[in-house]
Formats: sequence, structure tokens, C-alpha cells
Amino acid sequence: MGYLFDPDNWEWLTSGNNARFVFEGFLVNVQIALIAMVFSLIVGLVLALSRLSRNRPLTTAVGIWIDVWRNVPLLLLILYVYLAMPQSWKEIYEDAAPGFLTDVLRDGSVFAALIALVLYNSAVLAEIMRAGIQSLDRGQGEAAVALGLTYWQRMRIVILPQGLRRMLPATVSQLITLNKDTTLVSIIAIQEVMRHGRILTGQNFFGGVQAPILQVFLFIGLLFIVTNLGLSRLSRRLEIREQKRTGTTVKPVTGLEDQVATVRA
Amino acid sequence: MSSLVELLTENFGALASGFWVTCRLVAGSFILAAIVGTLVAGLRIAPSKWLQRLGGIYVETFRNVPLLVLLVISYAGLRRSGVAIDTWTAGIGALGLYTAAYFAEVLRSGVFAVSRGQIEASLSLGFDYPQTLRRIVLPQALRTVISPVGSITIAMIKNSAIVGAALAVNDMLKEARILNSQTFETEAAFFWAVVGYLLLTVAATIAIRVLEQRYAIRR
Repeated sequence: MGYLFDPDNWEWLTSGNNARFVFEGFLVNVQIALIAMVFSLIVGLVLALSRLSRNRPLTTAVGIWIDVWRNVPLLLLILYVYLAMPQSWKEIYEDAAPGFLTDVLRDGSVFAALIALVLYNSAVLAEIMRAGIQSLDRGQGEAAVALGLTYWQRMRIVILPQGLRRMLPATVSQLITLNKDTTLVSIIAIQEVMRHGRILTGQNFFGGVQAPILQVFLFIGLLFIVTNLGLSRLSRRLEIREQKRTGTTVKPVTGLEDQVATVRA
Repeated sequence: MSSLVELLTENFGALASGFWVTCRLVAGSFILAAIVGTLVAGLRIAPSKWLQRLGGIYVETFRNVPLLVLLVISYAGLRRSGVAIDTWTAGIGALGLYTAAYFAEVLRSGVFAVSRGQIEASLSLGFDYPQTLRRIVLPQALRTVISPVGSITIAMIKNSAIVGAALAVNDMLKEARILNSQTFETEAAFFWAVVGYLLLTVAATIAIRVLEQRYAIRR
């Protein structure tokens, strides 16, 4: 305990711009998580709708696709995509990446990381969305058909607004998981918070003080805890506001996110 | 295709030992997670506000921290600060304690799924609180949590790959990476690693389904 709270071991935090260095790394993680989330939501919706379509071969194929990506360790996916991706793809990404992104995010390896994260998370989200849509009363879809709505109108006006509301909590908890999972991209040498932590604790950092590993990574862990707690607070808030606004209790889908937290009876 | 089979037959020993290491990691972490998770769940449903809060802090801390950070803290961090911890203790400890937070949450919600009336009935029949928990609540709670415990276990099998990457433990993924660097057969090496992980996750899925059919309470 003495070692842990010894002020000398926390000196690194205030000396130089170490704290800023860690924050910059953390920002890379958050950005990767957000970009991956946006694309996973889009791809996940497409997957979920194809899995619910009437076309038998398509639903089977999509079902297998989803099950394979969901059941593979994400780290393995990241490594594999990185190693197997042709160099030309990475160069295409480096050329095409929009200019407002930072240099770290415009690196080709980020493209591999994003593909792996989207492959994995879109499969998980597709299952959440499917459950959200299927949990609706059958009558909803049938009534929409009887009213003469086309498929897209049915989805846009009747099914999705209700289904998506039910999947909000599960989606937020998946976003939290995704935020934590972005630390895994350090394995393919993307300069994010884990790498920055390693640099700080490495030997002879600028010939100056070497930061203690325990304290540096406790601090990094604290950053994640604060961010993720904020996210789950936000989701609770949205849920409560929605309840007050509509006067109904939404029955959320649970149990399909990557790591389930609760059983609702 | 032939290179796929060749890679397996020529390096069967390495791949099998990686598979076995992953199995041991998963088994050890599962036991630790089950024990710590039950204790934390006990704290969270204890009749004291302070104990509940303590359990809450445990869950929120370990659930919101990346496993990789936990692994670095538990091995490199502790070593540098003078605690002589070995890789297996650090790996199983970090993975087990991380999963325990999820375990505790699932158990707690399983307990809450048992209706209050049953607890009140049991108390009024003269059982004391621990007896009520042991005889009335837990048997029912355990049966409702079979399926979520299954998904936690599957997530833990997948997370065990992170242990191998962070520490010097030659698990399934690490063996595949070694093979890849020796043979440059990226597709084949990773294919067999995927097969290894799918074997474990599918086995877990089947086990859960059997347990569910036998014990689960349908509501």
C-alpha cells in the first residue's frame, strides 16, 4: 500500500506532459470506438434485416456469417485481418482517409483494426437488432401490411422505431465493450493508450524518470472506468426520459450483447 | 486445401498444446470467477447498505476496465512493484476477477427474479435469512441464470486469447502466431486457431443447452 500511494510514484503524472500524452492515446481509442460503432450499426442493421427476410438461402448464409464472427476471439480477428490484408488496401485507405482525422488514425493498420472491429461488432449488434424486431407483437407487422404499407414503409414507420428503442440499452453496453476492446488494437502497433503507457514506463524515456507500470496503468484503467460509467449513466437517463415521454415501460432486449450483465425476469 | 491439412499434421503437437493451455486457462478462470462472483453477488444482496455498496464498487470497477489493462497491472505492474507473481497466477487472476464481475451481476439478477413473496413466505415459516437464501432463493436463482452464465463462459473463452497476447503463456492464438511467423501460412495457421476456439465455444453452447433443457425454469 505504501508503494501504491507513495507520492514519488505519482510524480510522473504532473511532470512534463505525461498526462497529456496518456490522454492523447486515450482519445485515439475513443475515436476508433466511435467510428467502428457507426459502421457496425449500419452493417448490423443490414445483416439483421437480411436474416429476417423470407429468402431461405439468404437467411441461412447470413446466420452462419453472424455465428462465425460472433464466436471468434476479437484479438484473433484483428491480428488475422492485419496480417492477411494486402498492402494495396492499406495504401488505398491511407489515400482515401479524410483529412480531419489525426495522423495516427490515417495509418493503414487502423483500417485493418476497423474492419476487424466492424466484422465482430456488426455480428453482435445484428443479433441484438433481430431480437428487438422479433420481440414486437406480430400484429404490428400484420397491421402495417393490412394498411397497404410497402416493406420499407413498414420498417421505417412501424417496426424499426419500436424495435430500435428496445435495443438501446443492449447497444450501449456493446459500445462499452467496444470501447474496452479498442485497447486490443495495440497488438498491431497502433499508437493508442496502451502503447503510450508502455512508452512512459519503458526504459530511459527521454533519459528522464521512468514511470512505474502499476500507477500508469491504474490511471489508464481509471480513464476507462469514468468514460464507461458515464456512458451507462447516459443510457439510463435516456431510458427514463423515454418512459416519461411515452408513458410506457419499454421492454428492452437483453442477453445478446457480448457480455451479458443482467437477466430480466 | 492440402496446405491446410499439412500444417495441421506437421504441427499437431504445437497446436494441441496451445489448445490444452487455453483449456486450462479457461477452467482455472471459470472456477475463480464462480467463487468470487458468488461472494460479490452475496455482498450485493446482503441486508447492509455498506456491503451492497462494496459489491457495487467491485462490479463497476472490473466491468468497465479493459482486460488488457488488468493483465498489464496484474503481471508487469505487480512485478515492478516487487510482488513476485508468475504468469499463470496473473493470467488466471485477471481473467477470473474480470469475469467475476459479470458473474456477480447475473447471479444477483437471478436472485431478484425470485419473487419477494417466496422470501416473505419462507421467513414467516420460520427460516432465518441464510437458510432462506440457501434453500429457497439460490436453487431457483441458479436455474434461471444457466443461459446467461453460458454466454459469460463463451465470452471468457474468447477473452482467454488476450491473456496469451499480454503474458508469456503459449495459448491457442500464440501458437498460431508462432506457426505463422515460421511458415508464413497465415490463412492455415489462423484457420486452425479458429477451429480450436470454435470447438470450445460450441462445446460450451451444447453443454448449456443440455443443462437448460434439464433444469431451466420456463416463465
